[in-house]
Amino acid sequence: MSHIPWEGVRFWRRMPKTVRRRIGFLIVADLAILGFIGWRTAATGTSFADEASRIVPNVTPIVLAGLGLTGIICCGAIDLSIGSILGLAGTVFGILHAREFSPVTCFAACFATAFAVSAYNGLLVRWLRMPAIIVTLAGLAFYRGAALILADVGATGFSEQFTVQRSAYHTPGREHAGLILLTVLAVAFLWETFGKSPRRWLAVGSSEMACRLSGLRPQRLVFQAFVGGGVFLGLAALVEVTNHITIEPARLGLGFELNVIAAVVLGGTSIFGGEGTYVGTALGALFLYLIGPAMLYAGVNEYWRTAVQGGAILAVISIDCALSRRRKLIEELR
Amino acid sequence: MLQPLVELQHVAKSFGGIHAIKGIDLTIDRGQIVGLVGENGAGKSTIIKLLSGVYPPDQGSIKIDGHETRFASPRDALDAGITTIQQELTGFDHLSIAENMLMGEAWPRRKWGGVDWAALYAEAGRRLTEFGLSLDTHRTLGEMTAAAKQEIAIAGTLARRARLVILDEPTASLTEPEVLRLFSQLRRLRSQGVTIIYVSHRLDEIFELTDRVVVLRDGSLVATHRMAEVDPGRLVRDMVGRPLDQVYPRTRSGDSGPALLELAGLSKAGMFRDVSLTIRAGEIVGLAGLVGAGRSELARAIYGLYRAETGSMGLRGGAWRPAHPRESLKAGLVYVPEERKRHGLVLEHALSDAIGIGFSDRLTRFGLIRPRAQRRRISEAIGRYDIRANDAGQAVVTLSGGNQQKALLARWLERDPQVIILDEPTRGVDVGAKSQIHALVDELAAKGKGVLFISSDLGEIVGMSDRVLVMNRGTIETELRGAEMTAHNVILAASGLYKQDASRETDLARAPDGRPP
Repeated sequence: MSHIPWEGVRFWRRMPKTVRRRIGFLIVADLAILGFIGWRTAATGTSFADEASRIVPNVTPIVLAGLGLTGIICCGAIDLSIGSILGLAGTVFGILHAREFSPVTCFAACFATAFAVSAYNGLLVRWLRMPAIIVTLAGLAFYRGAALILADVGATGFSEQFTVQRSAYHTPGREHAGLILLTVLAVAFLWETFGKSPRRWLAVGSSEMACRLSGLRPQRLVFQAFVGGGVFLGLAALVEVTNHITIEPARLGLGFELNVIAAVVLGGTSIFGGEGTYVGTALGALFLYLIGPAMLYAGVNEYWRTAVQGGAILAVISIDCALSRRRKLIEELR
Repeated sequence: MLQPLVELQHVAKSFGGIHAIKGIDLTIDRGQIVGLVGENGAGKSTIIKLLSGVYPPDQGSIKIDGHETRFASPRDALDAGITTIQQELTGFDHLSIAENMLMGEAWPRRKWGGVDWAALYAEAGRRLTEFGLSLDTHRTLGEMTAAAKQEIAIAGTLARRARLVILDEPTASLTEPEVLRLFSQLRRLRSQGVTIIYVSHRLDEIFELTDRVVVLRDGSLVATHRMAEVDPGRLVRDMVGRPLDQVYPRTRSGDSGPALLELAGLSKAGMFRDVSLTIRAGEIVGLAGLVGAGRSELARAIYGLYRAETGSMGLRGGAWRPAHPRESLKAGLVYVPEERKRHGLVLEHALSDAIGIGFSDRLTRFGLIRPRAQRRRISEAIGRYDIRANDAGQAVVTLSGGNQQKALLARWLERDPQVIILDEPTRGVDVGAKSQIHALVDELAAKGKGVLFISSDLGEIVGMSDRVLVMNRGTIETELRGAEMTAHNVILAASGLYKQDASRETDLARAPDGRPP
């Protein structure tokens, strides 16, 4: 596989300039923040390894779901219901746990639920021929509701939350998050570098008409992106669900989709489709998460942190949208 | 004798009751470059779309190689060896040249299943080299110029063993050297046995390139000529048909007042260059030219959507440097855009809002709109411009094209502007509304306004204007006045042939009806 480094160079050259610039920026920013945290932990005598072991389980679900959503957004579609899907997958996990199924069964069911619902979203988008944003906006409410109904019906004496005490049910999220993250990242990057599907998704997002004229079927490609996204989302759900002791169907994954979308867009993926990378998303998710601990070490007032985080997202994304909108306006007038 | 490549027999197609083409018989032989010419609405693009599988014909049959064929999708046409290079190039701007060329085909793979990028780029490079191009196939398509994109598209079609290549107005956005290069490549294609259908408004190109020319008018095939046996004058007569007998309104005195709008040496790269013109009070100045000649681009610069790079403008005696359309509206200059649906109207909204938006800022008290005054003005306008709607609350999108256009005109003309730029004001408008709009434009000039009238309808521009400026490749090359103002001459001038062609009409007797000699 001696050609892989050279393919990496090719991959880099294949990316549009805007994406390259963003990735370059994120690499520098992520390293800088990590360096800062490393320096602070050394100065205060805490352990950097401890800090890292806290970061990994928390950042993994966002990275994994982000990879899945990247493919979908590249197609010019979106999935707003991933937070609710996470809630639903967690509920299924909780019910099975309450009914004393083995850990492996619970894990498999959690993964399968998230995967199936994501693929179902894709089917709806394909069949209804409606914008994905509308279909999944309905899903956002519907899957959350389904989780609550399921919890009420499926678990006897259910009130508010499931409690998962035994550590055997926590292995993916607590012990293997880092391993899962690294494996998935490696597979994703390989796929991105050597796969055809990601390139075709970009093609759909770039111009549906041109796709049709080249003999491709746009609706089918978008569906494929949702199915691919389902695999990533299933793994994300698995890590997130097994990282908690309590699972609250009403609250698990609430607002998760917004963090993920922010990570994807921060990573240089155009919200209008047509450009984007897995690498960028992974770096974007890391950046977004690292701002939190970095501000903690920098001694930023606790009440200010969320606002600063929001400001960072807004600044980066609004510049991008402004550039893109301007370009679209000029094209429109030509 | 070889079988013809394509045969259309009694092919007809209509859209919503309007016949786009009516029973055309057309035969295209192998290895020729066939020109397809005709005015707007003659049916050229319908024929292209039928051949490229965008939609099937209503009646008649299409035979390829003597076999009757029915394309269900563009894919089927591609498989049959028919490739169409669209006027508006469609590609994937963010993907590399190689990916663009091979999209829709099987990509080379490594043993373990990954895409063999080296082979992919090499294959694309090979296809480009075969076509005589050397480009880095890693570069993204978005970085390429319009000409390069076109060449890449053509090179891509060759590799797909296309037997028929259809080009729709391919030179609209190309520069002169790029056009020459395209021509030499098309000739080489022909020498390799590929048949080419070349659609263009530019007669100079038709004469330079094609072997045979097919003339369409109003959805019918009027004539086919071998290029060796025809001259531009004949071709133009075929395209225009019998002299237009429509009468255009003329209540204005014809005396022009002081200059209202003056342009001197105005240029903007890629859009227009060195444009000078004057529009006087009480005058209708026609601006003719082909698609891509830069007419709308010029109009938008005057209106302040973007700045010109060099040159100067003057409005009503003062210097005119608008930074924003808002300034134009304040200064009494309006621009009614060509595409009313995309740029002009708020389609889903009520008619009253669509009209009121143009002048509601003038009917305010303490910064708030005075609803009653506005309602009165709107209902007056609906009556005055004869906009046929059930009531003022009807959504604009449900009105007919003519009424939409009248609403758009009402909106801006109610501001009582001094200079009015109308961009294709009668496109897609029924005959009745058309003559109402003509009367309205004439009335404006009679009231002493200056009108710049952009139109691709030859009869209209010649009939309505006091003089016609003809744009070609971004600049005004010809000004036609008096008896020179004929549809024939406008066509010649738009292709840059006016000065040298012997068939140009200066004979007073041929001036169209309704115009004093």
